[in-house]
Amino acid sequence: MSQPLLYDYALDADCYGIRLAAGCLGIELALRSVDVHPGQEQLSPAMLALNPQGRLPVLTDGALTLTQTLSILLYLAESYAPDHPLMPQDALTGARMLDWMSLAAATLAPCAQARACAMMNAPGTLTQLRRDARRALRLFDDHMALQGLRGEGFLAGPEATLADLMLFPAFALTRDYGLDHDAFPALALWARRVRRLPGFHTMPGVPDYH
Amino acid sequence: MSINGWFPLSLAASVTPGSSTGAVLQGQDIVLWRDASGAPHAWEDRCPHRGMKLSFGFVRGDHIACLYHGWEYGADGQCRSIPAHPKLEVPKTICATTYGIAESGGLLWAGLGEHGEAPDLPAADPVRSVQIEAPINAVLAALPTAFGATGLSLDGPLAMLDTEWGRLAIGLHELGPQRTALHLTRRLDPEDEDSTPARIALARAATRLRDQVEAATHHAAAVPGTPQQGETA
Repeated sequence: MSQPLLYDYALDADCYGIRLAAGCLGIELALRSVDVHPGQEQLSPAMLALNPQGRLPVLTDGALTLTQTLSILLYLAESYAPDHPLMPQDALTGARMLDWMSLAAATLAPCAQARACAMMNAPGTLTQLRRDARRALRLFDDHMALQGLRGEGFLAGPEATLADLMLFPAFALTRDYGLDHDAFPALALWARRVRRLPGFHTMPGVPDYH
Repeated sequence: MSINGWFPLSLAASVTPGSSTGAVLQGQDIVLWRDASGAPHAWEDRCPHRGMKLSFGFVRGDHIACLYHGWEYGADGQCRSIPAHPKLEVPKTICATTYGIAESGGLLWAGLGEHGEAPDLPAADPVRSVQIEAPINAVLAALPTAFGATGLSLDGPLAMLDTEWGRLAIGLHELGPQRTALHLTRRLDPEDEDSTPARIALARAATRLRDQVEAATHHAAAVPGTPQQGETA
């Protein structure tokens, strides 16, 4: 059987989300390091041939090349761990999971932009990007506040799904650009639950409490 | 706004045993943490070693440890272990600044400065906390309408409203001149069979309140002729 290969940058939030999900799903990824900062290797001819968008993540598996976190997570789970509890077996929970994953894909770009602006001198106005990131994360905090009242601990229901792992990096890394977690009390409680999932691991900027 | 020097900084349920969180009060950084036995603590959010926020650290058993170098502080604020110098008897002068702490009415209260007796409130269920990018007076003015209440009674930082979803007790928390947090609780009602639907309705109303107050505040502050920030309900 082939082994999926992740073109990886240790400090990239999306790459972390994929490593995190793979770890929780029990999938071993091959990693190929890409020197994003300061090397800008994602813009090299070889990388642009793989992903013309000039960005990570990129996952290849045999003839397949994927460039979006959402499709990468679904592909890994469906191909290598279809019976894992992080993949809902009922249609309702599955639809909810996909809804929250789509929302994460559609709204969380300001979090990555704010972080790149604060840490890697990427273009943008940090105060505006920080405000946009707070707006984006609020949607998830509002939802988790209601989930808490319903007695459900995760985005799609009482159990964790891929949607929670997709959101985790964006929330966990907000302090890198000066947005504290006290603005999202429901997400802070949720993150403690995510941390307890089997296979959970951290990245630089996400404290490991050992 | 305080009751005898006591300020509501969080829902009691938001700080679980063995965890810590930051709380800003009028620009001042405070760490709230609960030890493994469930006892809450409120301190200055600053490790005496290098000034790192203790709220970024982690709680183990009955102490909190700083994320930078692992210095451990017991419930009295006293540093009692420095991992880099395991044999050192830590000097008494290394001590975090501690504040008064009380848990009452479903809220965590910090007692700052010369504080008197802590508030003694009836039991209440948590609803949710919201942070609003607006001055506390703008938030206060919008409260009755947002919850369909005819009036509001105020005891320092505690706002009481009678709503169709029950008795709402809100801890008002001024983070700064332009930022306010509300910690919403619903007083226990002996008539209740299940308070969940009422609390969900109140949580939704709080979210709408936040979005409406922010839209009004930013509209008023915007220079005429410039595009408005889009607001979603």
